[in-house]
Amino acid sequence: MRIGIVSPYSFDVPGGVQLHVRDLAEHLISLGHYVSVLAPADDDTPLPDYVVSSGRAVPVRYNGSVARLSFGPLTAARVGRWVEAGHFDVVHLHEPVTPSVSVLALWAVEGPIVATFHTSNLRSRAMQAAYPLLRPSLEKIGARIAVSEDARRTVTTHLGGDAVVIPNGVFVERFASAKRRGDWEGTAARPTIAFLGRMEEPRKGMPVLAQALPHILAEIPGVRVLIAGPGDPESIRKEMTKEAAKACEFLGPVSDQDKASLLASVDVYVAPNTGGESFGIILIEAMSAQATVLASDLPAFARVLRADAGQMFRNGDPVDLARAVVGLLRNPLRREELAAAGRERANAFDWSVVAEDVLAVYETVVFGASSVRTGEHDSRWARLRRSGRNSGGT
Amino acid sequence: MNLSWIVGAIALAVVIAWYVSYGAARLDRLHTRVEGALSVLDAQLVRRAEATLELANCGALDAASALILAGAATDSLEADTTDQRSREAIESDLTQALELALGEEALLRLRQDEAVGAPVLQRVATANQRVELARRFLNDAVTDVRRVRRKPGVRLLRLAGHAELPQTFEIDDELPMLVRGA
Repeated sequence: MRIGIVSPYSFDVPGGVQLHVRDLAEHLISLGHYVSVLAPADDDTPLPDYVVSSGRAVPVRYNGSVARLSFGPLTAARVGRWVEAGHFDVVHLHEPVTPSVSVLALWAVEGPIVATFHTSNLRSRAMQAAYPLLRPSLEKIGARIAVSEDARRTVTTHLGGDAVVIPNGVFVERFASAKRRGDWEGTAARPTIAFLGRMEEPRKGMPVLAQALPHILAEIPGVRVLIAGPGDPESIRKEMTKEAAKACEFLGPVSDQDKASLLASVDVYVAPNTGGESFGIILIEAMSAQATVLASDLPAFARVLRADAGQMFRNGDPVDLARAVVGLLRNPLRREELAAAGRERANAFDWSVVAEDVLAVYETVVFGASSVRTGEHDSRWARLRRSGRNSGGT
Repeated sequence: MNLSWIVGAIALAVVIAWYVSYGAARLDRLHTRVEGALSVLDAQLVRRAEATLELANCGALDAASALILAGAATDSLEADTTDQRSREAIESDLTQALELALGEEALLRLRQDEAVGAPVLQRVATANQRVELARRFLNDAVTDVRRVRRKPGVRLLRLAGHAELPQTFEIDDELPMLVRGA
């Protein structure tokens, strides 16, 4: 099948949607499909050979965080050229209501269109304001996918209709085969816990962990907190007590490989996110690496972890978090149980399973339809004449 | 005075013409989407009935279950595709027949039979998943058409012409025991 995938966010910066697009594209290519990805990127960024740049990305504040997007007439022209050159059977747009390449592609394309909604918090004010403009092009989407139940609810309340839930995929094997690192592994006296993500973004939950640390240290003074991800350590340290700050080790942004090793090595992986998570991909990565997962009880996390694949604590409650951490660190048997159940649960999210569902959606919309083309050649008048004939005839 | 009236009338006519052409094109596209989705669903329903027939004849099921499945599958294949309501009932019956025939023991027996049973069961599962997808995409398209056709301008100007108002396709198509990992 010839598949065109559009990512609204720049590949220059890692992020959930970009990673999803990259992994999906690579998995589909490995299955023998032709895949071309259109995404914003700076001219000098090295890109995988299946990615086509839609132009420079500009940092824009949208939907609560800064995203690197691309738009404008030049980008629109590049989108058109990409569609013409691709001869796609199906075009798969990600986040079609983000003001970037996806919405431009939706505008330009006629034919089988699949759209995936990732976010669970569409910014409703912007959406409502631009709604009359967006509505007709959204009607072109033949199949809608949501990555989680929360994302699906957003689709049904804001756009009407329904969406098929297909979760994010993970290359389970890449994490399962990660090597442990001695300096990250805990000992009985000095157990390790890990935090991953942009620490300065409050909804990632760093403040909750910071407040929980004194309680944890009171019970287990030797605990080490390994913090990986972009951000300024000083801004975090100065919010903590002196002892808590001393227990933290900042690793900075880590490579995919180091991330997997970190998850595989530590005693407990903590995800104290307070909201804004539509789907806990990081939890699945942690489970794949056989980490013991401790996460806040966000609905999205609860659906991933179910009853036994990890432990949960009350969202935003540092005392409950501390109690759970101490309980797990003192109970190696329980940790082993959770890690084993998590590894089993992760299989349901492996790309081999997820991509099959995505392909089923492609096949359903492609069935019997002609391939994707740009809408420009089919002028409105031509369509009107045709519709006049049709309605007169039947 | 006269001239400005004429200019105003022409401008109004242009706006109305644009609205009509735009609305008609939009509706045309939506109707095309519904027709496409309906033909996909039709094809997937046929595929599911054929897979069910295969399952009935694979020999791994008891004779009574096989008969029930074969009956429901034949009804589906012979259904009058123009009568949507009766077709919905027939397809729901087929789902129920599958649900009845695929009890725990039967599933176990089919999955163990790697030569015939397992692949046939897999075909039924795949076909049913496609039916679920196709039906959901059709109903999304129908919802969109009906929403646009409710708009006062569209109704007043009869932009939908004589095209029939499409109906959502309502059947029971959930077979939880065939979903992976269950």
